[in-house]
Amino acid sequence: MRPQSKFEPAREREPARRVFASELRETRYQFKDGEDEKSPNFVILPTGIRSNRIFIVGTLTEKQRQGDQNIFYRGRVVDPTGTFFISASSFQPEAMQQLARIEAPAFVAVVGKPNLYTTPDGACLVSVRVESITVVDRETRDLWVLDTARETLDRLDAFGTTDDSKKAQEEYGTRPELYKKIVYDALSQVQL
Amino acid sequence: MNLSEVTERISRKLESNGAQPDRQKIESRLRRLVDEFGVNAAEAERTVTADLAREYHITGVGTSGSSSTELRQICEVAPNDWVTIEGKVVALTRPVSPSMAQTGIIADSSGAIRFVAWARGNPPAMEYGEWYRIESAVIDEYRGTPNLSIHSGTTISQIEKDIPLLPSITPIAELKPGVGSVRAKVVQVREAPHDRMLQAGLLGDESGTIRFVIWNEEGKDKLELDAVYNVFYATVDEYNGRLSLVLNTAMYITDEGDIEVGKNETGVQGALVHIAPGSGLIKRCPVEGCNRTLSRQNYCPVHEIQPEFRYDLRLKGVLDDGVHAKNVLMRREVVERLAGITLDEAVQIAETNPLGMDEIFYRIQNAVLGRYYTCGGSEFDGRLLVDSCTASTFEPAELASLLNRAGGEPA
Repeated sequence: MRPQSKFEPAREREPARRVFASELRETRYQFKDGEDEKSPNFVILPTGIRSNRIFIVGTLTEKQRQGDQNIFYRGRVVDPTGTFFISASSFQPEAMQQLARIEAPAFVAVVGKPNLYTTPDGACLVSVRVESITVVDRETRDLWVLDTARETLDRLDAFGTTDDSKKAQEEYGTRPELYKKIVYDALSQVQL
Repeated sequence: MNLSEVTERISRKLESNGAQPDRQKIESRLRRLVDEFGVNAAEAERTVTADLAREYHITGVGTSGSSSTELRQICEVAPNDWVTIEGKVVALTRPVSPSMAQTGIIADSSGAIRFVAWARGNPPAMEYGEWYRIESAVIDEYRGTPNLSIHSGTTISQIEKDIPLLPSITPIAELKPGVGSVRAKVVQVREAPHDRMLQAGLLGDESGTIRFVIWNEEGKDKLELDAVYNVFYATVDEYNGRLSLVLNTAMYITDEGDIEVGKNETGVQGALVHIAPGSGLIKRCPVEGCNRTLSRQNYCPVHEIQPEFRYDLRLKGVLDDGVHAKNVLMRREVVERLAGITLDEAVQIAETNPLGMDEIFYRIQNAVLGRYYTCGGSEFDGRLLVDSCTASTFEPAELASLLNRAGGEPA
C-alpha cells in the first residue's frame, strides 16, 4: 500500500501554448475542465492540443479605447500568418494599463487567454484576453516564429495519437498538411 | 495486498517443513479472514500459517516465539515478512502514541530500520547503543517505508556483540524514504519558523542537496553553517514528493575537510511569461540569519518592525517553453544583468520616483517579460534558483532545419 500524501502536489501552471494567428482563427471548440465554477476553460486548437493560455509575439498595428463607464482596450496583433484580436478590460487593470501605454505600431509579446465569442449573426470570433503585454524587439519576434513553428510541427507529429488531437480531428477535420504549409509560409517570411 | 502472494509464501514455508498444503484451501482461508472478517493481511497470514502448522504438526512455523528463526539482514527485509534480526539500537525517539512503548531505529551492518515496540506486548525496554536479537517481529509499512513492528509474540534478548558498527554513507541524490546516513555540508540554515523546531536548512554533498530539520528536543544541537558533518541514521521522510532529513534520530559529528556541493543542476529554456508580485526592489530583514522579505510597512513576520532594512533585487517569475511552466527565482546579480540596472541605481530611482519601488518592478518587467531566455541553476521546492541566465539569440541554422521539417514547396 502506497501512503496517500496528505496534500495533492500543487497543480502545475498551465503552459502558454504557441499558436499562429491563422490556426487560432479556426478555433471553435471550447470546454470546461471540471464542474467547479473556477474550473478552467480550455479551447482545443485545430492541431490538437488543449490550451487555456497562449503566448504570442507580433506587431501591434492598432489599438482602440472603447466604452465610457467600463473602459476597455482592443487591439490587433499581426504575425506572419494573420491577425490576433486582443482585448484588455478594467477587470485586468495591469494589462489594460500596459496596453494603454503602448503606441502602435510596435512589436509586442502577449500572454493571454483565448476566448470564443459568437456574434448575433452566428459567426464565431476568437479573441485573446490579455494577461500581460510588453514591447519587445524584432529578434524576440523572430525567436517566437521559430518557437511557434517548432511547437506546431511537434503537435502535427503527434496528431492522431493523443486524445486532444483525436478530438480536434473530430471537431475540425484538421488536415495536417495544410498546417505544415502555414508553418512553412510563416518561416519563409523571417528575414535572415 | 495480493493474497495469492501470501498463499505462495505460506505454502513454501509449510513445504520446506515437509507438508503438502493445498494452495486453494490456504487462499480461501485467507480470503475469509480478510474479506469477511476484515483482518489485515499480515495478521491473516500469521493466523493461517499457525493453524496449518498445527494441522500438519509442524513446529517452528508461524507460531509466535519460535518462528522465522533464520537471521535476516536488515537491508533485505520487506513488508509482511516475519523476521529475526540482530541489531544495535542507534536511536530512540519519543513515541507519538501511548500505545507505543518504544520507537527508534535499529541497525546492523547491512542497514537500518525504524522500529515500533507496541505497549500491549509489554516489551522489555531496549537501551540506546546496545545490541539485541529480535525474534518474530513483523515488517509492516508506514508512510511508504518498511518498519519493524515488535508485538506480543516477539522475543527480545540482549546480546553481547563487540563489533563496531559503521553506517554506510549514502549520496544525497540516492536517499530513499526510511533511514539514511550522509556526509554533507550545511549550505543553508534558516531560523526555525516556530519554537517546536530547533533548526531547518539545506544539506549538500557532491550529488545534490536535501532539506533537513531538527525538532526541538533536549540535548539536540544546531548545525553550523558551512561545516561538514557525518550524519548517522537520520530519518528520511517524503512529503509532497520531496525528501527531507529529520536529524532527531541521528548522531551528527563534525568532520574534517570540505565538500564541493553538487547543484542538481538543471537548465530550462523558454519565454518569461509572468513576473510575479514581490519581484524587483525588495527590503530584507537585517537580523542575522533571517533575510526575510519585509512587507511595505517594513514588517518582518518574525522580527516585527525593522527600520534598518537592507535593499535587494530579485525576480520571481515563470519561464514557459510552451509545454511546461517553470517557476524561477533570480537573485540580484542575475536581475542586474538582465534588466541593465544595478541595485544602487534601483535604490536611487525608487527613492526619487513618485512610483517608488513599483517603478523598479515596471522597469524590470518591461525589460524581460515576453523575452526568451536559457536559465541554469538548481531546483529547489519546485522552483528553479537561477544562477545563470542568457538571452536566447536567433539561430539561422534553426530556421533552416525548421523549414526542412515543414517541407512543402516554397510559398
